[in-house]
Amino acid sequence: MNYTFQFGEVMAELPYLLGGALVTLQIVFFTFFLGAVLGLMGALGKVYGPTPLRKAISAYVIFITNTPALVQIFVLYYALPDAGILLSSMAAVLIGLTLNSTAYLTEIIRAGVVSVRQAEMDAAIGLNMTRLQILRYVMLPHIAKTIFAPLSNFFIWLMLGSSIAALFGVEELTGRAINVSSVNLRTIETFSVVAVIYIGLTLIASMSLALLGRVAFRVKARVF
Amino acid sequence: MTHLDVRDLACSYGSEKILKGVTLSAEKGEVVSLIGPSGSGKSTLLRALVGLTLPSAGEVRVAGKAVDYSSRKSVRELRSQLAIVFQQYNLFQNMTVMRNVTIAPITIKKRPKAEVEALAAELLARVGMEAKHDAYPEELSGGQQQRVAIARALALQPEILLLDEVTSALDPERVNEVLDTIRRLTDEGITMLLVSHEMSFVREVSTRVVMMDDGKVVETGTPSQIFDSPTHERTRDFVGMILKH
Ligand SMILES: Nc1ncnc2c1ncn2[C@@H]1O[C@H](COP(=O)(O)OP(=O)(O)O)[C@@H](O)[C@H]1O
Ligand SMILES: [Mg+2]
Repeated sequence: MNYTFQFGEVMAELPYLLGGALVTLQIVFFTFFLGAVLGLMGALGKVYGPTPLRKAISAYVIFITNTPALVQIFVLYYALPDAGILLSSMAAVLIGLTLNSTAYLTEIIRAGVVSVRQAEMDAAIGLNMTRLQILRYVMLPHIAKTIFAPLSNFFIWLMLGSSIAALFGVEELTGRAINVSSVNLRTIETFSVVAVIYIGLTLIASMSLALLGRVAFRVKARVF
Repeated sequence: MTHLDVRDLACSYGSEKILKGVTLSAEKGEVVSLIGPSGSGKSTLLRALVGLTLPSAGEVRVAGKAVDYSSRKSVRELRSQLAIVFQQYNLFQNMTVMRNVTIAPITIKKRPKAEVEALAAELLARVGMEAKHDAYPEELSGGQQQRVAIARALALQPEILLLDEVTSALDPERVNEVLDTIRRLTDEGITMLLVSHEMSFVREVSTRVVMMDDGKVVETGTPSQIFDSPTHERTRDFVGMILKH
């Protein structure tokens, strides 16, 4: 073994790789927030909805959380064209990850919904709040506070998991790493740098989330 | 005109009948107290009046107007005239004292924030909580939380106030501060329906006392009728037992 590490060629591609990190962030923000909105609807439906709706949501969650995200995106990308639906690789990835986020976030948010104290709901109704106002002012802050930790964990999981987009040719961080290493053949160096960028992203995300939790929801989260 | 008129109100949880036809009324500015053993349906009655538990039969009129509990519009109109304070105060844990008191007038009645905050400050001062505007409920004692809950109800400027055993969850030394708060309210002409086990207080502030047992009204009368010469066996037993306590 007398391999000499050479980071020069990788560092020259750093702006290109950081651009990929930006694409990763875009994918994650899009799928996380859309998944959170749909997951909130799923959670409310699962707790307060009529039985058929509750069963349908449960079936959806069980189906999605028990099949690999990779397989789901595979179906979207390679099988749907047979049915006449042609998706770009990016669209397939965004839809697939959103379907996943929705399922996981439905479960996470549901735990928050059932933990809202009935006493506060009664008070809100007694104060003549509308359903939307109760959701906005009473339920959401409580839900956000209770599920803050699993929500943050899921965000990180999603950020790392989004690397499967590379398998479909999406040029996010991992995708660009594959491009770079196939040209410079410096695989170890390239992926070491990319690993450091991922760690940087998760650290920034953890710290931002902890700060957000502390300021907005009075959650005393710790990063380390 | 009778301010609050309740006729034959019935209410069930599942198949169990909790209220079996309750009739009572309050004129404007009256303080009507509900007494009776635990489990007799006093809380259920107050919850049914605001529509938190749906009545299965009977009629409720507020200022002569019948309430339709199956109509969201009618119930919302009812709740704009009525406020309820719960036994367990039920403050919003994620909001400061000030926010607890101002949220309903600002978001529901769409009143200007500055005006509402001025009113809230006045109400909080009236219940002796002027130093705690920025505190969260978890930082307050039960008595303090209950006084904030009363201020929150008053911020809606209700015409009728329902108070459910507002002192029963409090330490004995905290009871008087809350009773003092209510006592001052009775001088302001607000109609009150009050559930309480504080018999001397009930006797002092009530214009009428309603004795309930097993989901029914046993007897209604002035405080001296109920406490000094009750006509029903059940009232006699209950009052005798409570006063001895
Ligand atoms: N949510 C509920 N579900 C089923 N039964 C209830 C519920 N709340 C109260 N009850 C029953 O209704 C009866 C009256 O209760 P309540 O109105 O709280 O009486 P009180 O306030 O006079 O003590 C009790 O027997 C109680 O067990
Ligand atoms: Mg009760």
